[in-house]
Amino acid sequence: MKTITVTSVPGFDKWREASRECLAHGIPPEHVIWQNAHSVQDDLFGHEEQTQATSNFQIKYTIPKSALALFKYALCHSDTNRFALCYRVLWRIIYENKNLIQLKTDEDIMQLYALAKAVKRDAYKMSAFLRFRELNNEGNEHFVAWYEPEHYSLEIKLDFFQTRFKNMRWSILTPYRAAHWDTETLFLEDNPDPSVVPDDDRIEKYWLTYYANIFNPARIKTNAMLNQMPKKYWKNMPETSLIDDMIKQSGARAHKMIIDGNKH
Amino acid sequence: MHDKLIQKLEILSDAAKYDASCASGSAGKRQAGKTDKAGIGSLTGGSGICHSFTPDGRCVSLLKILMTNYCIYDCHYCINRVSSNVRRARFSVKETVDLTLNFYKRNYIEGLFLSSGIVGSPDLTMESMVRIAKSLRLDHGFKGYIHLKTIPNASPELQAEAGLYADRLSINVEMPTQPSLNKYAPEKDLGAIHGAMNTLKDKITEHKVDKTHSGKRPPRFAPGGQSTQMIIGADDSNDKIILGTSVKLYSEQKLRRVYYSAFSPIPDASQVLPLKPAPLIREHRLYQADWLLRFYGFTLDEIVHDDMLDMDHDPKLAWALRNRHVFPIDLNKADKMLLLRVPGLGARTVQKILSIRRYTKLNWIDLTKMRLPLKKLKPFISVGDYSPDIHLLDSNNFELQFKQPKQIELFGA
Repeated sequence: MKTITVTSVPGFDKWREASRECLAHGIPPEHVIWQNAHSVQDDLFGHEEQTQATSNFQIKYTIPKSALALFKYALCHSDTNRFALCYRVLWRIIYENKNLIQLKTDEDIMQLYALAKAVKRDAYKMSAFLRFRELNNEGNEHFVAWYEPEHYSLEIKLDFFQTRFKNMRWSILTPYRAAHWDTETLFLEDNPDPSVVPDDDRIEKYWLTYYANIFNPARIKTNAMLNQMPKKYWKNMPETSLIDDMIKQSGARAHKMIIDGNKH
Repeated sequence: MHDKLIQKLEILSDAAKYDASCASGSAGKRQAGKTDKAGIGSLTGGSGICHSFTPDGRCVSLLKILMTNYCIYDCHYCINRVSSNVRRARFSVKETVDLTLNFYKRNYIEGLFLSSGIVGSPDLTMESMVRIAKSLRLDHGFKGYIHLKTIPNASPELQAEAGLYADRLSINVEMPTQPSLNKYAPEKDLGAIHGAMNTLKDKITEHKVDKTHSGKRPPRFAPGGQSTQMIIGADDSNDKIILGTSVKLYSEQKLRRVYYSAFSPIPDASQVLPLKPAPLIREHRLYQADWLLRFYGFTLDEIVHDDMLDMDHDPKLAWALRNRHVFPIDLNKADKMLLLRVPGLGARTVQKILSIRRYTKLNWIDLTKMRLPLKKLKPFISVGDYSPDIHLLDSNNFELQFKQPKQIELFGA
């Protein structure tokens, strides 16, 4: 039995290295125990069986691109079982069926898709619901955001934020890691201090004004809203503080339009 | 502090909410700063991001505002018509540009959706709108999304210029027929609207060509195409007329999207209008039908059996109930177009079925694993080890089992 402790999150690179090594030694998935220690030390194997397999790394396996893409997402899931699952699928693609990834009714594949899907959604919501606040920095624009993704979605969305806000200085802080961008280089910092995020922003009042007024009180579809924007996201979105009152007053506002209409 | 800009924003976003479109998609990919140090923004390629949701269930993706709500026209359904008593305001070019950039930098929005009342003349209005888009693009290198609501009677030159800076252009037809327009929007003319749409269509197609004969790429022109909106339930047009208008707009004017907006009462409403809002379920059914027409290979006559859509069943299920002889459909053998017609199978599921089927035969257990809506599917399909009771499809009270309890949520809390 081999125990592999991945000591970084999300752990894609470490998983890949370790998997290659296990494959090179022909260790089947049921003989590997995967662990994820949430530690930031950049050290691949925790203990035991420090294997030297470099010579065998030349073995080439053909893994479909679609599988690698799925692994990438699934490995950003917070579920510790992700490493074992991905290695098992990898093994089965090589030794059982190279088209395994297409068998969407296979238990492992279904689970892999489920993990990847959860991460994709989480990452999408991050790009949608993250809010920057401007740090008062003597003429130097610097935007800072605090966001709590459910999975390791920061890694998935770094490209997006770097592309969209390339010429802007920004910092995104999550509970496990922060990314700082100075328009040229990216700097990652583990376990950042959330107190650097400003409490307010000079533009936020305009955003709240816009949010309250673009809403149509004559049509209430609270469930449709909650479906797309569940309450767990609300605490870091300033506009959500208005929602309760908007719903409470909507009936009266819509009614007033009808009454006013009757007056003519 | 209640500053002036807040007041303007209140008025001019309130006035913009009756436009249902919030989409910011399908204008291709691009990004700022690829080659230089200036500019901001990107388009991600797919459909735009929904940055927030309001309790009316709509997504907030763009800063959707009117440049001004002063208007010389008197369209009855419109809150901004000249005879309405609403407060009036006007944004300057700079205010609109700053607001857009400031919102964008905080990740509130994907871009700007600018519409306007007609102030002075159609040309003057259009010109100011174009100046806003131009300033965002040229002065600030803004690469986010811009949607301009075109003024139908503005000059072709201004329309052409708008297309250089906007990702999408739209002109609202508002009502599906000329008689309805006469009654509710006396200054609007369906012929002129279609004319303007055709002009835009020609420009868009012309600029879609990859390269000109000289090898140069033509300048971009509204890469996201054009869209429009119809108000539902203010006039008495039935669903067949409405969807018929949509089919024409999709095929002749090559529109990307037709939006349907259930009429809802507006403050200081005109007396010509009905007092009550149109049911949201009708709007919902129209969107479903619109989808089937565009992506599922259904024809108008197949979808609208009578003049109105069935409010109790979604249009695909309603079609299936009227065409029971087609079923059951064998999921292991049927071609794609037929699979798309099965109630409960969406385009994505169909794709999945086709891909699984290449490697293995589908059995009932596979359907449960795929988490398909089995109750709905059951009577309409067969797989390796399952086929439905034929008498079930033929029984008279068959459709009763699909009757849903009233969808309370749709009618308001």
